[in-house]
Amino acid sequence: MSEKKRLKMRPRSGWAAFLTLIVALALVPFLGPPPYVTHVLILVLLFAYLGTAWNLIGGYGGQLSLGHGAFFGLGAYTSTLLFLNYGLSPWIGMAIAAGVGAGSAALIGYPCFRFGLRGPFFALATLAFGLIVVELLTAFREITGGSLGIFPPYLGNVPHLFQFASKEAYYMIILAMWALIVLLVRAMRRTRYYLVAIREDEEAAAALGVPVRKYKLLAAVISGALSGIGGTFYAQYFSYINPESAAGLALSVEILTVAIFGGMYGLMGPTLGSAVLTPISELLRIWLGGTYLGVHLMIYGLLLILVIVFMPRGILGKLEEVLKRELEF
Amino acid sequence: MGGIYALMSIGLNLIFGVIKVVNFAHGEFLMLGMYIAYWAFTLYGLDPYVSLPLVAISILALGALTQGLIINPLLKTKEINQVLATIGLMIFLENLALFLWKSDFRSVLTAYSAASISIGEMRISFARLLAFAVAMGTALAFYALLTKTDVGRRIRAVAQDAEAAELMGIDHRRIYIATFGLGGALVGVAAAAMSPIYYAFPTVGALFGPTAFIVVVLGGLGSFIGAMIGGLIIGIVESIAGVLTNAELAKAFAFAIFLLVLFRKPTGLFGERARV
Repeated sequence: MSEKKRLKMRPRSGWAAFLTLIVALALVPFLGPPPYVTHVLILVLLFAYLGTAWNLIGGYGGQLSLGHGAFFGLGAYTSTLLFLNYGLSPWIGMAIAAGVGAGSAALIGYPCFRFGLRGPFFALATLAFGLIVVELLTAFREITGGSLGIFPPYLGNVPHLFQFASKEAYYMIILAMWALIVLLVRAMRRTRYYLVAIREDEEAAAALGVPVRKYKLLAAVISGALSGIGGTFYAQYFSYINPESAAGLALSVEILTVAIFGGMYGLMGPTLGSAVLTPISELLRIWLGGTYLGVHLMIYGLLLILVIVFMPRGILGKLEEVLKRELEF
Repeated sequence: MGGIYALMSIGLNLIFGVIKVVNFAHGEFLMLGMYIAYWAFTLYGLDPYVSLPLVAISILALGALTQGLIINPLLKTKEINQVLATIGLMIFLENLALFLWKSDFRSVLTAYSAASISIGEMRISFARLLAFAVAMGTALAFYALLTKTDVGRRIRAVAQDAEAAELMGIDHRRIYIATFGLGGALVGVAAAAMSPIYYAFPTVGALFGPTAFIVVVLGGLGSFIGAMIGGLIIGIVESIAGVLTNAELAKAFAFAIFLLVLFRKPTGLFGERARV
């Protein structure tokens, strides 16, 4: 289907559905759900947020990043260390974390695009970058607490320092973050079209005048900045970070599995993926406890293979196939 | 260790050169091979060099299955899908090992593990010497297989031009399965030879996988001299890293070298200019 035709056929009801979803989700805390349900919902929205950020460069751009855990972790460490050492409010730290996320994405993205690293080579480079970040976070243990991580002090309900007594407050924040990122990516219409053109055929896109390197870098930097912001949220919500859990390869894989399982070629794919996968992995964590670490990752790995072989467009793509229409808004 | 790196890298290079797929799960193949050797030793008292054929055949089967079930259906799709599939396999195998065997370090202690041979002032570990010899012998045997046998000729034909080979009546999908299997068998031999001198644990693959990637990226397709240089550079990096007292910094340094190598030889293995 041509792009023009597709635009005409875009269902207008999508907006209504999106707004209804947000209102419905915003009402959930008023139903008085048990804390565990709120916790799972927070994680669902966090991974929906991170998956959407990843999808900008990974899905639309087709540049398979294994370094998003690192952008996220650097963001988490930035705001936490600034708060602990200089008393800077994590709200401001969050903005700086966005800068650090953007900077680190540029640091690895620029040379990759400059030297034309594609496909498996881009994946390898970002994988190595992520591993370097974890090693460095561990190595500078005087500052970062090494592999034991950091516990920021709990100060009670201090909204201006990004600390809340109730899970519901965190829920509302991540809900807003998720809604904003979906709207942001949606608004970046031209960037998305350029990225898709680059993904489908880089030479052809360049020949048609798409500034290939500029848009790849732009997507990587925005994606990195958004991931850094997500890192600050994570550090504030969990009040504990360590290099492996906040920046490790496992996190990068969780983020990309959510995006790919849901459907990396659509705006709402990562959200759909997170809505299905995050509760499953949380339930596994409860059932199996600490005895079987990594079971959810084992399943993620298997799902990744199955999805790629049997439905490369993810569940969103499958739904679209069944409904025979584009689920955009 | 040099010989083992070389053997792993030859397997990776073979898969990459012929099928044009980077096997992210290569290190995890090594890890599984080491566990097979470990269990054969612990449960049945089999020396790793006795169980070596078993390990090689198991990983050969794993490689052939990977190609047949996962990569072959993806041949006609985007390259990114094949990458994702092997990343999925990497994550699956690593966490499967964690699930089955926990994160304990397990080692095979043979009678000769601690033995060494003195040549003048030098003392060389007997187990390491044996591993090196076996690795080199396997590499030579593999070279002979590739150049002298019919299967080897078919593999090389497909590597050069899959379509032309198809016209000559070679089913490239079957050759791909054989190739991935062979690459796996080489890793299997490396795993068995390595088990008397190194621990088996779930993330051992993540430790040695990147090294194999560096050697391949450095060496270039089918280049024996390239592989030698690659091995040499790794040796130098490791000795420099050994000077650094901080283990994490040493690892970060090794990965940084890897990145630099990647930047300097982007897609060098294809031999095409891919810059935009």
